[in-house]
Amino acid sequence: MNKNNNSNGKFKVAKYSNIIFIIIAFLILIFFYFIPTPDGLTHDGKVMIGILLMAAILWIIEPIPLAVTGLLIMIIQPIMHVIPPNEVFASFGSQAIFFLVGAFIIAGAIEKHGLHRRIALRFLSHFEKTPRIFTFGIMSSCAFLSFAMPAHGVAALFLPIVVSILIAMKITPRQSNFGKVSMLCVAYGCSIGSMGTLIGGARNPLTIGLLSDLTVPINVTFFDWMIYSMPVVFISLPLVWIILQFSFPIEINDISEAKKEIKNQVIKAGKMSKKETIVLTVLIITILLWIFFSSYTYFGLAVIAILGSIFLFITKTINWNDVEKRVPWGIILLYGGAITLGIGIQKTGAGNWIVNALFHTVGINPYLVVIVIIILTVLLTNIMSNIGAVAILLPIGIAISSEIPGISPLLAAMIIALSAGFAFMLVIATPGNAITYSSGYFSTKDLFKAGSIANIACILVIFAIAIVYWIGYLHI
Amino acid sequence: MFKNILVPISSEYYSKEVLEKTAFLAEKFKSRINLIYIIEEKVLNQTDKLSNGYRTPDEIAETKKDIIREQKLAADNIVFEDAKFFFKKRNITFKEKICEGEFSNVIKKETKRKDYNLILMGFEKECFLNYRLFNDIDIPIWIQTKNEGKSILSVCSNLAPNQKVPEVSIQLSNLLGWDLNMLYIVDIEDSVQVDKNGKRSDKKPERDLLFNGQKFVDDMENKGINIKLVKGSLEKVTLKAAEEINPNLIILGREQKKKGILGLPFRHLKRKLAEKCKYSLLFVN
Repeated sequence: MNKNNNSNGKFKVAKYSNIIFIIIAFLILIFFYFIPTPDGLTHDGKVMIGILLMAAILWIIEPIPLAVTGLLIMIIQPIMHVIPPNEVFASFGSQAIFFLVGAFIIAGAIEKHGLHRRIALRFLSHFEKTPRIFTFGIMSSCAFLSFAMPAHGVAALFLPIVVSILIAMKITPRQSNFGKVSMLCVAYGCSIGSMGTLIGGARNPLTIGLLSDLTVPINVTFFDWMIYSMPVVFISLPLVWIILQFSFPIEINDISEAKKEIKNQVIKAGKMSKKETIVLTVLIITILLWIFFSSYTYFGLAVIAILGSIFLFITKTINWNDVEKRVPWGIILLYGGAITLGIGIQKTGAGNWIVNALFHTVGINPYLVVIVIIILTVLLTNIMSNIGAVAILLPIGIAISSEIPGISPLLAAMIIALSAGFAFMLVIATPGNAITYSSGYFSTKDLFKAGSIANIACILVIFAIAIVYWIGYLHI
Repeated sequence: MFKNILVPISSEYYSKEVLEKTAFLAEKFKSRINLIYIIEEKVLNQTDKLSNGYRTPDEIAETKKDIIREQKLAADNIVFEDAKFFFKKRNITFKEKICEGEFSNVIKKETKRKDYNLILMGFEKECFLNYRLFNDIDIPIWIQTKNEGKSILSVCSNLAPNQKVPEVSIQLSNLLGWDLNMLYIVDIEDSVQVDKNGKRSDKKPERDLLFNGQKFVDDMENKGINIKLVKGSLEKVTLKAAEEINPNLIILGREQKKKGILGLPFRHLKRKLAEKCKYSLLFVN
């Protein structure tokens, strides 16, 4: 009886706190609607700042699902007469949305037939020399697979694979540094890999979607994205791995049990089926098409993604039930809200006003601005969903580019999109961290210890790449 | 003394020291041991919540199934194997089982199902675990840490009934052969006197509390116990004394501290002590 009362009580408290945060979010919006409009800002711009703050609270605290906040952002703009409904909902016509749908269908087929598991095991089997190299193998395999499918799915795939290996090796949870490094390599490998291509994280298509909707559109192809992002991936990956080695020196020397377990799992997976071969072929062709023909002069990203997924249906490697099971439609709604928020902030001049207010005191030194954007994004992505962090910061970043000489919209967008991948410090930062934490092999303290050092190192990496490679070499 | 020992191990936090100490105590007290591996619901829920929106319900359910399967494997192949290693060589029999649920709830349920004399567990403040059981359960709870000392530090105060603590401390000291050091702390932040039934009095002047304390100290000294009367904040004095003595175990009773510095509300004394203390603790509830 008591127990029931307690749990009911707790449930009520949780519900009340959610309601309080929703009320606070709306009160902020109402406050912004009624306060006098400051100099240099329009009434619509002022309301958009209120909507931005409301979205920030709802995305950080999550009293309602992320996708519902996305929907709320969309409907609140016409309600407040900031942007007409036809313009708000037109954002769903963006090809980035259909690129996401197609990419999710292809990833669904990969997962359905266990192709990702086979690739992971094959990749891992090349890193069986020493425990240290093995952990690097885990990290690079996760990153590699996150180039071709959503990073959270990769973390979920690697959890049972790595835990089975650790159990076979009799590695004790919490007490073994090898166990800690192995699991943290999964979490960080997925996060770093998700920056590499447009498929790894939904924030990447969001970024290119917003860039293509600017008054002067900027079109980023699949290959362009890789050119910008890969140096960050290839420098961060070994760097974070080295940080993990120093943070938790590995105590074992023998890797023979891991070898045996991987061999067992490979045997269990059996021979590659016909359907797996089809999925792999479609995946390779789709990626090649994305790399070479995703510019607007050819087909565009979405056409290729949908073409690939239709081919999977024709070959019966996937059916509609699988799509319903494996495509997270919530992300699409979240995306819609995020992109309309960005467009609204830009159109009403709210972004420019925020930037003027923010950088009035800091000054307009572009290097300083770049480092401030990176640090802000990394901090925000560690406490909220990374797509939410990008959705909030991207419109401000783009406004910065129009106010501060030396920073282009593309540069600001890339800095924000890639920095948002460095969600290393907290369990709540990304589903990948939470999935690996559930293994019991590392503590929140371990995550924070390694994650904070890795975050500082990666902030410096992205800053150096922004200055030397993006501005200095690519002149973006 | 500890005929039935319950050893709960969370999927979120595993420490071999707990099993080692359980084996040591079970051998001394000829105890029966029940080992429960708890697959922590809160961690699973947290993972689900964070994945919500990014992954479909089917994918989330698949991952949850995978996590539970791997945790059961870890329990069977690592935790229970370690237990066999520690217990079998001392000829101690034990029962093991795996449960899913919230840490405190599972333990409460288990203690209702069977009579236990001791709960022996590990502790880590960074966990999502709910340590509500520190206050809700009337069975002694032993929190084992890595630190190994040479004696017992037994803490009595104006904030506890001080009935069981001296009794248990003397018994343990005799049976285990550990030196006994006792403290009577007059907590000046929460100046009430708790009676034998655990009832708090109204606020009392300091000299009355010191007088009661001195009476208790005299009683204990007559029994040949090494005891000191100290004035200060209960948790601070306890931690300071522990640093000086380096005890194997600190024993505390049903302390009811409700006010802290400047009379501000104070909660979770036991949890705060467990968080700050690097020594093993025994809460005689």
